[in-house]
Amino acid sequence: AMEERRYRSASGAPIALQCRQHSACCRELAVRCPRLQLRSLSAATSAVWLVAYGLSALSENSMVLSAAMFIVLIGLIVYLHFVKVDQESLLVIGSLGIQVTSSYASGKESTTFIEMGQVKDVVINEAIHMQKVIYYLCILLQDPGDPQGVSEVVPLFQSSKPRLDCLIEVYKSCQEILEQRKTAPQSS
Amino acid sequence: ENSPAPLPERAIYGFALFLGSWFGFILYLIWAYIPETWLFSLGLTYWPQKYWAVALPVYLLVAIGIGYILLFGINMMSTAPLNSTHTITDNYAKKQQQKKFQEEAIPALSDIPISEVNRMFFLPEK
Repeated sequence: AMEERRYRSASGAPIALQCRQHSACCRELAVRCPRLQLRSLSAATSAVWLVAYGLSALSENSMVLSAAMFIVLIGLIVYLHFVKVDQESLLVIGSLGIQVTSSYASGKESTTFIEMGQVKDVVINEAIHMQKVIYYLCILLQDPGDPQGVSEVVPLFQSSKPRLDCLIEVYKSCQEILEQRKTAPQSS
Repeated sequence: ENSPAPLPERAIYGFALFLGSWFGFILYLIWAYIPETWLFSLGLTYWPQKYWAVALPVYLLVAIGIGYILLFGINMMSTAPLNSTHTITDNYAKKQQQKKFQEEAIPALSDIPISEVNRMFFLPEK
């Protein structure tokens, strides 16, 4: 079963949350960020090229224009491949682990897998981030020496930064699966 | 014994500071404005260069301006990043001892773990 709902990110951009239930203990939650707008891309490109044209007219050097073209091209490729995130998804498989995937606009996908033994809990934490206080979902990793301790915090959905209503949905979904670990028979 | 009320000693300190600051200000104006030749003719030949009468206030104002930006930057640097455990707990919370629960008494003040807080806020108990 799959359902999609619209929410807003922390900065106000529209995002969409897709929730797929693959089986009783396997759920995939994906947050889709807004696509790169053609008008903002052309605005940025025209601005850079106008500045380069002005500079080349002032300095009477045509190398400035070709350098600007090169920079815009390389910059766009780097931005699409390393910065612009298209979709961030969370795949929770009870008793196996949690997989976090980030898909970039250029098609690149980077995944991280955390096995269930290391996962202490998935919580909504609030922290100060760049003169704002934001809510963000994070995975708490178990400290091997201390059963109550947290060794690491893995923040999720860093590029899309959903607001609290979306985070609560994701949190409830994850908790339903994580609760099964307590009721399931321990096997280690 | 340590009240902020006005006392005769405090009045004298205040007046001495008032006279001292006026004296310093008049001295600074004399140093900055009176031509060097006039000062030499009076016999005051070993005063610092007049360059410093302008340079020191400028240094001070630039330092104050940079101080604003520096403080802003230091604040941003000491904010814990989103992936640090300092956003969840700290040394005092880790070392706290659980006091025994007593009937009819107010529970002792302690740090509630974030998992419990989340469950209380976001999972509705039926």
